[in-house]
This record gives sequence, structure tokens and C-alpha cells, in this order.
Amino acid sequence: MMKTGPFLSREKISSRQLRRASRQEALIRGLLFGATLISGLAVGAILGFLAYFSLPLVFQGQAGQILDWRWRPFQGDFGILPMIVGSLLLAFSALLLAYPLGVGLCGFVFSQRQKPWGRLVLLAVRLMTGVPTVVYGFVSVFLLVPLIRTWFAQGTGFSWLAATLTLSLLILPTIVLLTWAQLEHTAIELRLAAAALGFTPSQELLWILLPQASRGLLAAVILGFGRAVGDTLVALMLAGNAPQIPDSPLDALRTLTSHIALVLATDSTSLAYQSVFASGLILFGLAAAVNLALRWLKSPAW
Amino acid sequence: MDEMHRFLDHGFIWFSWLAALLTLGALGLFLGFLGVNGLAALNLGLFFGEASPWQVIMGGQPAGEGIWPACVGTVYLVVLSSLLALPLGIGSGVYLAQYASPAPKRLFGFAVDLLAGIPSILMGLFGFALILFLRKTLFPQANTCLLLSAVCLALLVLPYLILTTQSSLEGLPAPIKVAGLSLGFTPWQNLVHILLPAASRGILSGIILAVGRAAEDTAVILLTGVVANAGTPQSLTDKYAALPFHIFYLAAEHRTTGELAQAYGAALILLLLTGTLYAIAYWLHATLVNKWEQKNIMLRR
Amino acid sequence: MNIFKKAKVFMFLMIITVIFATTALGTQGSPLAPFQALEGKIDIAGGTAHIPVMKDAAEAVMKANPKIRITVAGGGSGVGVQKVGEGLVDIGNTGRALKPQEVEKYGLKTFPFAIDGVALAVHPANPVSSLSPKQAQEIFAGKITNWKDVGGKDAPINLFSRDEASGTREVFWKKLLQKGPVAEKANIVPSNGAMKVAVAQDPNAIGYLGIGHVDKSVKAVKLDGVEPTQENAKTGKYPVVRQLYMNTKGEPQPLVKAFIVYILSPAGTQIIQKHGYIPLQ
Repeated sequence: MMKTGPFLSREKISSRQLRRASRQEALIRGLLFGATLISGLAVGAILGFLAYFSLPLVFQGQAGQILDWRWRPFQGDFGILPMIVGSLLLAFSALLLAYPLGVGLCGFVFSQRQKPWGRLVLLAVRLMTGVPTVVYGFVSVFLLVPLIRTWFAQGTGFSWLAATLTLSLLILPTIVLLTWAQLEHTAIELRLAAAALGFTPSQELLWILLPQASRGLLAAVILGFGRAVGDTLVALMLAGNAPQIPDSPLDALRTLTSHIALVLATDSTSLAYQSVFASGLILFGLAAAVNLALRWLKSPAW
Repeated sequence: MDEMHRFLDHGFIWFSWLAALLTLGALGLFLGFLGVNGLAALNLGLFFGEASPWQVIMGGQPAGEGIWPACVGTVYLVVLSSLLALPLGIGSGVYLAQYASPAPKRLFGFAVDLLAGIPSILMGLFGFALILFLRKTLFPQANTCLLLSAVCLALLVLPYLILTTQSSLEGLPAPIKVAGLSLGFTPWQNLVHILLPAASRGILSGIILAVGRAAEDTAVILLTGVVANAGTPQSLTDKYAALPFHIFYLAAEHRTTGELAQAYGAALILLLLTGTLYAIAYWLHATLVNKWEQKNIMLRR
Repeated sequence: MNIFKKAKVFMFLMIITVIFATTALGTQGSPLAPFQALEGKIDIAGGTAHIPVMKDAAEAVMKANPKIRITVAGGGSGVGVQKVGEGLVDIGNTGRALKPQEVEKYGLKTFPFAIDGVALAVHPANPVSSLSPKQAQEIFAGKITNWKDVGGKDAPINLFSRDEASGTREVFWKKLLQKGPVAEKANIVPSNGAMKVAVAQDPNAIGYLGIGHVDKSVKAVKLDGVEPTQENAKTGKYPVVRQLYMNTKGEPQPLVKAFIVYILSPAGTQIIQKHGYIPLQ
């Protein structure tokens, strides 16, 4: 018998068959909804746990202690403000380096897209997304840190600078690929008009495509920032982990993410634990802010 | 004005070349350094230490200084987390693309986006908090272990699966989407017989991305059960070793140059693993695009 | 089966039996014999100074009986106490004696097994080889910031210290720094091994680690002319010493007890000495 869908058979369809099919549909729909519900609840669960474990802080009135500038558990100081500043400093500096580089790379790929080396660079950037973070950190520890130490003859090499350089390399593909996706999708009419007016590729890029894709460029900034602020390993392996605000790029700093990893791996007093959950909440807030910013960007355009 | 424009044009060309050369240079330096040092360490001893491979794999002998337990641990992690994440992720993606009405779609879409943006260390923190909570309430014997790490990793890669499934399905050309329905298929039959096969490459690329992400992640497993010295895990409640953490640990605490060489070797292997996976995922996605001539597929992340 | 096949099977079985017999017999009188009858797993965490010894012992046990699984993690003495107290691991290692409130709160039993000293360490190329306790205190407090102030090159001093859970840190802080302050800008490393790597890589670094971890890649600094060796630590000439302890919650389980007995046995003593610690008599 030829296999056809149930409704293509030659027999009349009984009402029982119809009912069974629609029950099946309802069951499947229910199952899939369940799957989606679980995925959605996961976020809620994460937020819930973070809040639950940070609660004792509020109830015992120690929230003020956490929002302090000194982290010295043996002396009873549990301030995480240096870590918040550290996260923001590192993320902004990495972005400051990676963003122009990313736009420049996009320009290169665009203007050279007919040539083999243009496509090669794009492929290289795409493959960069496949390099694990731990490998970036690992290679930097043995390549970059000694270089910085000997070049500047100051500090240990484990510094804000080392972490920034590696982190920019890490977020570069995100920025480039997102911007490139924007450029690819620009209306063909604009490109034809530019060609008709005699623009060179780089002029077309600078004066028409990039301004037109400004929303996408902003999205790339925000996404890159989110990625930079959420990264743990680069900061943990390269930034020196001193709980202070750095005076210079060659000083050490500590981020919220590496703080969580360090404290949970090595600390044991209860207030330290709670400070970790507070750090987690703040990180969650940052991630949510990034998300909202992206959403706001997307909505009018869509 | 004209002068300034011309200056900017030329300046931008120079700048773009500089950017490309700088990036390629840095990348080449990194990979070259790793390749040279890593290749030198690639041999059987890297994996099995001084024990014989057969003894280690079949006889359960400890692998001494080898990274075999870490490789096995990573494989187990990836397999377990995929088993957990695949049904949930693809199911959710299908629901959001096909069955959801606009309001739940926006709500769940927001939740998924939020999940995607959560840093990996928070997933690890969540797992750790979960154990603390379980110990106080339901399971006093609960401990950080392979299962916990797999669950947290599954949560980490869930957004990749959902988003790629959803966008692959939504990106199919309209005629394909309605052909089956017009022939009398139910939505589910339409999915199974037409849509999913058509979107299979995109979904597959999402799966491979998720696998790659699970294999390379360190922050989650750091807080949920990985240790530096363990044999191959025998049960779900065991502590285990994994490649990314092993590399991290050796980078900070290698006791001999031999251990450092081992770290290079392990880093090279991990890089090859994830690099290949991402390359395959990208190739799959690119051929999907070509197949349907859909230049409108926007990667959401 | 024909005669040749039977013969082959017989030979095969004989060989297998001989192999089993020799391995079983081979470990009969050895300290690993008790492990043959046991199975299960042991999770160990805590002090990082203990890790080399634990690792080797674990490997020997797992080799003798592949059914036993032993995992070793670090984290520092504080983590060791907490984890074993909460029942998260079976053995919690500490590089310092347990505090009375810890023993009371968790009901811990302690088993010291080695003596270790804590030495100041600098890069091998650093000309400074001896410091007084007062100089060390001022360096770590951040008051002396240049090597030339203590007889070295004109270069800034890069401080390395340990995290808060570290027993090594506590001993160093109490006995060498006399509970003095540690500068905030000190780089924090999470273990003895990491401290060694950090100091070995930086010509201007100063840190501290267990003497058992000292090797050619770092230089141990003499304290008032006293060389920080394990012999001096044993006799008391070098004052900054501590014992290494294994701790369990209550009476240890048979498998855990067998492991502790193994570490305290002559075979364990060999391992301890191999890694540069002094076994307790």
C-alpha cells in the first residue's frame, strides 16, 4: 500500500479517526508547551535562587556592608564595590579596543570581498568563535603576560592590560559577525544607487552602509559588552585578582565573575558566601539590562 | 570639506588594512605558539601517562599523569547535557515557531533571550545554590557531581538550541510552510514530514554549536563538581575531571615542565575539538542558507 | 571441541589463573592488601600542600583495586574543614591544626601525618637570599616596595599572597608576619602550586609556600640566616612550621580508614618523603 498521509487515503475518514488525530495534536501541543514552559521557568529559577540566598543579607541588615570598598574577609570587610568597578572597567576597555578594530575588519572584508584574502579574513574571524575561552586565557598567560612584564618593567604582567587585550580578541568575532550580518542585509537598492553614483567600496561603506546600519552597530556594542562583562576565565587567569581599583593599566583588578569563582573555590565564611550571591544578583541585573537594551533597539526597526 | 572627505576615505582604507593585519597577526601568534608547543606534546603518554592504553581503558587502571580521564569526563558531560537539552530545546523551538500565539511567544522569547544572556558563572552558581538548597530540604546526601554539571550545562546551551531551531523553522520560505497544510496535513504531520526535514541543517548546526559550547565551558563545571585529580567517572554522582578545567588547573599550578607540556597538548586537543565542531556547524548553516536562497535569516546571537 | 581446542582453552585458563594469583599474592603482604576487599569511593578536598601526596597514594590504591575511586581537589584548609564538616567530602585536608570551635561544631577527628615548613620564596635570579622577620613584615605590609631597600636590584617588589581559606597563609601570617597587615595590592593566588608558578615566572616576585613545594624553579629565602629546610623545621631551628592533617567527620568509614592507615604506613611514609615533607614518627 502506498504510504500517504492519513487524509489522502481513498477511504472515507471516520469521525473516530478525526477525533484521535485531534487528540494527538492536542497532546503534542501540550508536550511542546511543557518543554517551553520548563525553559522559561529556568530563568525564573535562577533568579529565584540568587535572590533567596542573598536574602539573609537584607534581613540581617548587612547589605550596607557588601556595598563597601574594601574586601578583606579576615578583617571583616566584605565590600564588593571594587569588583563591580573592575567588571565595568574591563568590559569598557575591551570594548573600546575591540569595537574600532571590529568595524575596521568589517571594512576590510567588505572592500576586499571579491578578493580571496577578504573571504579568508572573514573565515578566520568565523573560526575564532570556535576557540575556547580557556585556550585564549592559557596562551595569554604564557605569551602575553611575560611580554607585558618585560616590556613595561613594572608589575607582574597579570594586569588590567593583559586581560583587556585578551578579552578584546575574544569579543572581536561577536562584533565583526554581527556588523557583517547587518551589512549583508542592507537593501540592494542602496548599494546599486551608490554604485551608480560612483562611490568606491570604502566610500560606500563609510557614508552609506555604516550610517544606515547604525542600529545594528549599536546592537554589536551592547552584545559585545554583555559578553565581556559575563566572561570569567580571562579575568580569572589574567587580571591578577587583587580586590582593588587599579591605578594604572598595569595594576591588577578583580571582576565580579572571577570573584564568584575565587570565593566559592577557596573561601568558607558565611558572609563571604552571601556576598557571592549578591555579586551574582548584580551580574544578573547587568545581563538583563543588556538584554532590555537590545530589545528596545530591535523593536521600532521590526 | 572635500579634502576632509578624501582624507577620511583614505584613512579608513589604511585603518581597515591595519585592523585586518593586527587581528590576523595576533591570531597567528596565538595559534602558532599553541601549535608549536602543543604538537611537541602530542603522544600516547599525554593521554595515558605511564600506564598502557589498554589497561586504562579496559582495566580501569589510573592513567597517572595522563589526560584520558579528563577527555572521558568531557565526553560524558557533553553527552549527558545534550540528552537533557535536546528534547527541551528543540521542543521549545518548535513550539515557539509553530504553535505559539503572539503573546506567549513574546513572553517566552524574552525569557529565552534572558537565559541566553546569563553569564556561565551564574549557571554554576545556580547549580551550587541548588545543591545547598537540596541538602537543607529534600536530599541531605546531595553533592556536586557529574549529573549536576550536566544539568547546568544543559541550561547553558538551551538558548542556542531554541534560537537556532526557531529561526531555522521561521526562515523557511512561505510556500514550504503551507504546502503540507493545504494538502490536509495536521500541523504536527506538517512538521514531521516537511518542515523539520527542511530545516534540519539549521537545527543540526544549532545542536553542534550547543555541543561545542558544552565541551569548552569551564566556569559552570568549576562550581559544580569538577576536580583536578579523578579517574574516569563511574556513576552520575561521581566527581570527575574535564579538559577545560584540567587546562586551567595546569596553567596555574603545573609542578614540572612535563605538566606544562601536557597542558599545551590538552589545550591543542580541546581547540581542535571545538574548532572542528564550530566549523561543521558553520558549514551546515551556510549550506542551508544557500539551499533556500534565504538571505533574510538573521542570526539572533 | 577437538583436543587442540581444549588444550588451548586450558592453557588460556591456566595463564589467567596464574596472573590473578600472582597479582593477588603479590599484594598479600603489602600495605595495599586491605584495599582488595573494599570498594567504593573517597572524595578528598582541602589543603593544597597535601595534593602531591594524596595524588600518589590515590594512584597506588586505584592501581591495586580498580573498583575504588578516589578524587582529590584543592581549595585550601578552610574549604577542607567546611566540606568535610558539611559531609560534602570524606577527607578534609588542613595545613593547620583544627580550631576548637571547628572540632565542636562538626565533630571532626584529626590525623596528622607530616611536618611541613612555610618558606618565603623569590625568583632564583633574585640576589636576595636572606631576610629578617621584620623586613618580611614590612615588605608584605607594603612599606618596603623596592628590592634595593633589602639588598637587591633596583626593582619594584611584586607581592603574592594566598586566599583567605589557606592554612599556609594562616601559619605564615601568625608565625612570620606576627599577625601584621598584608597590602591590598598583593596578587592573590589560590594554591601552593599556583604560588610556585607565579614566583617562578616573575623576577621581582616574593611569596610564600610550603617547603615541600619548593624546587629548583624558586629560591627559598633564609630567615635570619636559617635555611628553610625540612630538617630545620623538624628540629625547630626554622620557626615557621605546621603539621599536615587529614580530618574526617566522626569515625572514618572502613575504606577511608584504610586510606588513612595507608598514608601512615611505611609505604605512605615513602610517598611523603618523596614529595619533600617530613613524616611523623
